[in-house]
Amino acid sequence: MGALDRLTGPLVAAGIAAAIALPFWAPSPYAVYVAINAALFTVAAMSLNLVYGFAGLLSFAQLGFWGIGAYVAAIGVKDLGLPIIPAFLLAGAVCAVVAAGVGHAALRLNRHSFVVVSIAFTLLVLTLARDWTEVTRGALGIPGLGLPRPFGLTPPGDSYYVALAFSLPALGLLLVIARSRVGRTLLAIRQDESLARSHGIAPRAYRLFAFVVAAALTGIAGAIFVFHLTIVDPLILDIYYMQTFLIMVILGGMGSFWGVVVAGILMSILPEALRFSNDLRMILYGLLLILAVTFMPYGFAGWLKARRGEVWRRATPATRLPAGDA
Amino acid sequence: MDAVFFAQLLFNGLAIGLIYALIAVGLALVYGVLRIVNFAHGEFLMLGAYAMALVTPVLGLLYLPSLAVAMAITALLGVVMFELLFARLKETDFERSILVTTGLSIILLHGVQWIFSASGRMVDTEFGFAGVEIGDIRITATRLAAGVVALGAFLALWLILTRTQFGRAMRAISQNREAALMVGIPPRKVARNAMMLACGLCGLAGAALAPVYLVQPIMGQALLFKAFALVIIGGLGHLQGAAIAAVILGVVESLAGGFLTIVWQEAIVFVAMILVLLLRPQGLFATRIRVG
Repeated sequence: MGALDRLTGPLVAAGIAAAIALPFWAPSPYAVYVAINAALFTVAAMSLNLVYGFAGLLSFAQLGFWGIGAYVAAIGVKDLGLPIIPAFLLAGAVCAVVAAGVGHAALRLNRHSFVVVSIAFTLLVLTLARDWTEVTRGALGIPGLGLPRPFGLTPPGDSYYVALAFSLPALGLLLVIARSRVGRTLLAIRQDESLARSHGIAPRAYRLFAFVVAAALTGIAGAIFVFHLTIVDPLILDIYYMQTFLIMVILGGMGSFWGVVVAGILMSILPEALRFSNDLRMILYGLLLILAVTFMPYGFAGWLKARRGEVWRRATPATRLPAGDA
Repeated sequence: MDAVFFAQLLFNGLAIGLIYALIAVGLALVYGVLRIVNFAHGEFLMLGAYAMALVTPVLGLLYLPSLAVAMAITALLGVVMFELLFARLKETDFERSILVTTGLSIILLHGVQWIFSASGRMVDTEFGFAGVEIGDIRITATRLAAGVVALGAFLALWLILTRTQFGRAMRAISQNREAALMVGIPPRKVARNAMMLACGLCGLAGAALAPVYLVQPIMGQALLFKAFALVIIGGLGHLQGAAIAAVILGVVESLAGGFLTIVWQEAIVFVAMILVLLLRPQGLFATRIRVG
């Protein structure tokens, strides 16, 4: 147990308290806007982490679910006349069902084909969003969305609490899954599939479970995100979102929970500081991605862990073995 | 059905299908030799088109010399990118190779957008807007030239792959890596050559497309995703399969664009890919399933 492990409990409690109080200490409403993005993006990134970092499936389908959730909730409220919370739940349910179908077919393939199928799925969703105009209104999108305002705070205070009311339980659920037997089994499958199989683990069922849970949570996050934006149009399927989620997972560390939480928050703030040039910001993203994958394959969390292992290994012989015993 | 309209669509489809084939074959070649799915492949197409746009006015609008220069530039860039990034990736790093090439794609796309802005540009050549008439069918000269150039490139590629040591080494590595190593084929050098050839072909496709399409930074991405689907349909790493699927797609898309709605024209390739994956996951033309 390092100092960091002992501090995790108090740090997390302090972090949650600071997050709940944020609208009251934030320097400006703009900072609260950024915090809404951070809350929702972190859930989407953590869902990708469950699929890629834990189950070992690089899935570009997350972007598709982000978009499906957004559209289903918008159509649910605008066309089906649903109240907002059932619409969000419907968005999650539709994503889960679609993920079960797509996953059932795609998980029969090898890792290489899975990646390509996940991309094709997202492109198909984009094509539908753009061209199935009777339902999605095409490029015009569906305007006039909005989150409820139960407390009547200065905007966007209420939206922030709606986002937080989803994000904290969602992240909690993902943490429980990650620390459970299922999470450890997924890690075992990712690290050595043949060994896991030889212990009687059937990888497909575990992977399908991760894929479906991640799809449902990503879908609801996407739904809340577009209700916060007040409009959904095909831009919700911009590859930019996928790249952001990927960078959060890679920098934070595949298979690490807190690493991705920290990266999710930081990588939501950083782009705001780089608003002056969209292209330069993206070039920086690309460079970060290449450098992280090349030099820190398990992200910052993995790098930290490796360093702690190094210290431990160096310290062990001196502390464990009494002098003269060797 | 109007026969002239049909033939017109058929010819346009063949020309665009041959261009698709150049992109898909490069992708399949890099996958076969390096076991890398190159997400930046589309950006080499875009770079080829930009090279064409910049070189043509300098060379007095001459078509073929500009094409050759654009191809040489992208082939050289392919070698540079191989030495900088691809050579560091191991065969087992499949997901990592995707992330690295995604990063490269972002950098190239936004780098070009930053320098030249996102707006499209037209490329003028010696052909201008001239056309060739066969009976009632009219084809623009640039489109015809693109088709002819692609056919020539395929002939050259076939000769390289079957008649030269340079190309035979690539086929050897993609067929059986261990056996190729045993007979003394150096994998790193062959991988570099494959990247050079694939990027050169992709740059050529981009340069040939430049006078036909609008040249803009995002042009590579849409075509790349189609090329992915084609490579899956043809069978991963299977060159002829990808090329045949590409030509068929060009024609089918063109006909769908003429007779059906636009939704179908764009969605057809993905629907076809999903069907192929469900019914014949090894691809239409591959004889065995690749394990990995």
